Amino acid sequence: MARIPITLTINGELHEALIEPDRTLLDVLRTDLGLTGTKTNCLDAECGVCTVLADGLAVNACLYLAVVAQGRAITTIEGLASTGEGLAPAGTMHPLQEAFVEHGAVQCGYCIPGMILSAKAYLDDHPRPTELQVREALAGNLCRCTGYQKIVDAVLAAASRMATGAVAS
Amino acid sequence: MSRFEYHQPESMADAVDLAARFGERASFLAGGTDLIVQIERGRAAPDHVIGLGRVPGLDRVEVDGRRISLGARVTHRAIERTPALAGPPRCLVEGAEVIGGHQVRNVATVGGNLVNASPAADLVPCLLALDGAVTLVGPGGERELPVERFLVGPNRTARRPDELVTRVTLSALPPRAATAFLKAGRRRAMEISVVCVAARLVLDASLERCLEARVALGAVAPTAVRAHAAERLLEGRPVGGEAFRRAAEAAQESCRPIDDVRASATFRQHLVGVLVRRALDRCVERARRAA
Repeated sequence: MARIPITLTINGELHEALIEPDRTLLDVLRTDLGLTGTKTNCLDAECGVCTVLADGLAVNACLYLAVVAQGRAITTIEGLASTGEGLAPAGTMHPLQEAFVEHGAVQCGYCIPGMILSAKAYLDDHPRPTELQVREALAGNLCRCTGYQKIVDAVLAAASRMATGAVAS
Repeated sequence: MSRFEYHQPESMADAVDLAARFGERASFLAGGTDLIVQIERGRAAPDHVIGLGRVPGLDRVEVDGRRISLGARVTHRAIERTPALAGPPRCLVEGAEVIGGHQVRNVATVGGNLVNASPAADLVPCLLALDGAVTLVGPGGERELPVERFLVGPNRTARRPDELVTRVTLSALPPRAATAFLKAGRRRAMEISVVCVAARLVLDASLERCLEARVALGAVAPTAVRAHAAERLLEGRPVGGEAFRRAAEAAQESCRPIDDVRASATFRQHLVGVLVRRALDRCVERARRAA
């Protein structure tokens, strides 16, 4: 049961690693690649703090084997700010990130990377959601500070900003 | 050291070969939302994990006039988004969309939900209500089992260790047919069912009488179950009122719920009565609206 070489595409960059095949994407992201923006908590697909995008779909990285992530474009919170290739200068925060800051949606912050990635996956698919749809889209992400109202407000604000193209994403 | 060796067969034949070689020491991996939790918690300890991600054809949804076929690796997300399932077989969509959050539905599969055989699996009563049959492929070829016979007990199925579940086949719905799925939980999302119910009715040309009925229950017995006695009280009788009340009572009598952290057996039995009637009413509404 030796280690195997894998290649992961994370935030547009190729990463090579030699890993045991039983290791999760969450563990490899945090331990091997130093990408600690993706959080670790319940390891049971209940809380959503480990949410990343795989080919644009939200997944729980705690239950996703790193070997299975090969060949898919993985997006973590570190990959959300602008790379400078679009209209916005490099490092410009994503409209969701800006809206979370503006609305005071970040309390302790532990759930926020997952919240933002779940919201991004949903908004990419449903540009003009209702409040109820936003709440349903975030059902798999728990906030222990219970700051849901401001989180939902921030997602709705980001949605209208993204839909009107006021900020280049 | 890795707890298991990982295999990535590129064909169904290779997947079955691997399963035949390793037998009970191997587990197939589809979405992983059950298996990885079980491995991490020490409840499963396969020496070999056979990933199905590269096996072609397992993620296909096929719908024609006679049947609906869902490949084993079809995700809950895919069921939610297949337009052909949004009509009469809608219970499938209703069962799929209440499981976990988006993160789970994006990867969790029909085959995994079946093979994991949780008594509270939400999709499984829907498969029972649609006369689902499971196709298994093993070294000796293919065989088909009704879902009812495939489910043996909590987390136990009739699958042999060297067999791969490749798809579940459901009967397509004739005119004037409708389905419905209802679930009771302690909250609206991210919840294991306290009770869930799937129903299918076929009405006659007058839309007043039931020709064919299926009622399936989740979380009230060691496996998801059909309520055969309730079905018999519906077929050939006028829809609504008395027939639905008696069918709901029969469904309550036919189940064997337990007390657990989520609810008492008594409350579960009560819910079965309420949800069966509601699901039947909804089927009638839907069949009439579509006619």
